[in-house]
Amino acid sequence: MISIKNVSKTYKNGTHALNSINLEIAAGEFVYFVGPTGSGKSTLIKLLDGEEIPTSGDVIVAGTNVGKLKNRKVPLYRRNIGVVFQDYRLLPKLTVFENIAYAMEVVDAPADTLRARVREVLKLVDLSDKSNVFPTELSGGQQQRVAIARAIANRPKILICDEPTGNLDPRKSDEIIQLLEKINKEEKTTVLIVTHDTVIVRHHPKRTIALESGHIVADINKKEDF
Amino acid sequence: MFRRFFRHIREGFVGFVRHIGMALSSASAVTITLTLIGLFLVLTFNLGALSLEIEKSISMTAIVSYDASESMISNIEKSISSIDGISSIEFRTKDQEFDFYNETYPEMAEFNETYRESNPFHDVFLVSVEDGNEMENVKAQIERINGIDSVEDGGSNTYLLVNILKNVRIFGGALVLALCILAVYLIYNTIKITIASRETEIWIMRNVGAKNGYIRAPFLVEGIIIGVAGAIIPIALICGGYYYVYEMIGGVLMGFLTLVKPYPFAIFLALGLLGISIVVSFIGSYISVCKYLRLHR
Repeated sequence: MISIKNVSKTYKNGTHALNSINLEIAAGEFVYFVGPTGSGKSTLIKLLDGEEIPTSGDVIVAGTNVGKLKNRKVPLYRRNIGVVFQDYRLLPKLTVFENIAYAMEVVDAPADTLRARVREVLKLVDLSDKSNVFPTELSGGQQQRVAIARAIANRPKILICDEPTGNLDPRKSDEIIQLLEKINKEEKTTVLIVTHDTVIVRHHPKRTIALESGHIVADINKKEDF
Repeated sequence: MFRRFFRHIREGFVGFVRHIGMALSSASAVTITLTLIGLFLVLTFNLGALSLEIEKSISMTAIVSYDASESMISNIEKSISSIDGISSIEFRTKDQEFDFYNETYPEMAEFNETYRESNPFHDVFLVSVEDGNEMENVKAQIERINGIDSVEDGGSNTYLLVNILKNVRIFGGALVLALCILAVYLIYNTIKITIASRETEIWIMRNVGAKNGYIRAPFLVEGIIIGVAGAIIPIALICGGYYYVYEMIGGVLMGFLTLVKPYPFAIFLALGLLGISIVVSFIGSYISVCKYLRLHR
């Protein structure tokens, strides 16, 4: 599913974010990326999302060499990827239903498919009863569930979560990880989680890749390790 | 396809209403700019019409020698006709000139009649040119024709007036262009702020794979709405004002400057201002949103 070969990334200001990274992630895997600030986690996400181009090496996702994608092809590529951030990024003037539907509308999903799918993901994230509520009326954990529902509405192959529990207390964090595990299992979505939260990594052990100064320093619980 | 089209239109209006304060401040800036553009367009077109009128009415008088025979006069007429840029030639005998003088100054007619026997006037050719700029060239060619004593025209003041009017038109045109660029800049900045305030929406669109054209469309619509909103007052002000002023002064300014008739001029002016507002707002918002999308892959 994801193949990262000898990837390095140096920004224009001279920062070496990643240094000759090699990584293989299979379809349907659940992977944590851990490491201190500046270790290269966010850069890795940006490379996978097509937001940045590697300075050298290849980032291949579902057979697509992301770094070599022409700009006009990037939007279509992104339909394979769902992204969730720590700050939810919901539209406050839209209801929960509309927030999720919005992500489908902009990729021209047919109206009947859209409604059915929104209801389906709302059920999946356990927010069916909050369909007509505005994001500001929800708790942090619920808002993050809406963000996750929106990210998976278009059935992406990969779900990238950047610090999804960063703003949540331990109990809510636990619920969010459980939800992501459920999505991983039921939707067969590859889930990549970038986190500082070692507690959730310990409570929900999965493959964990540790980065430091742009290098992979550990890759534990790989499938062959089980 | 239609659903998407109407969605963009709706989103554009939603964006306009959502950022009503900013949109109105930008529209009012466009209003001021378009009002100035309208004023300069009125000035430029009227000066253009006046300039053409003056150029058309500029004629010169080729004075035939006293001793020119009839065949010589006929040859002179042929020679003048062969010069490029001549729009009309009229021959007047010395007697006709005498009559014309008396008609022009009737209070002197009785006295002048005492000179009819020894008529001091010459036979003349009244020559008009197609383009005022060709006057000097035509004059020089006529002067070289055998049998012509001299050529009289309005003098250097006529050329000067034509040139001044031409330069004022060029200056007006350049000013209109500069004001259009200013309007583009105003729209550009508004859309830039709008984009900043809708960053989350754009982020979502980008992340779920909306195409750039899709992201761009509502901002272009919003920009055009701002432009059109900004054009309403200038159109009403300039076109209505022009009609009112024209009627009030009877179409003649300062007793000699004939203004262009309001119909159909005012309609073309209104359409022109509307067209300018749509084009500049489209360009302004297009540059703004493209710049943003280029910055983000």
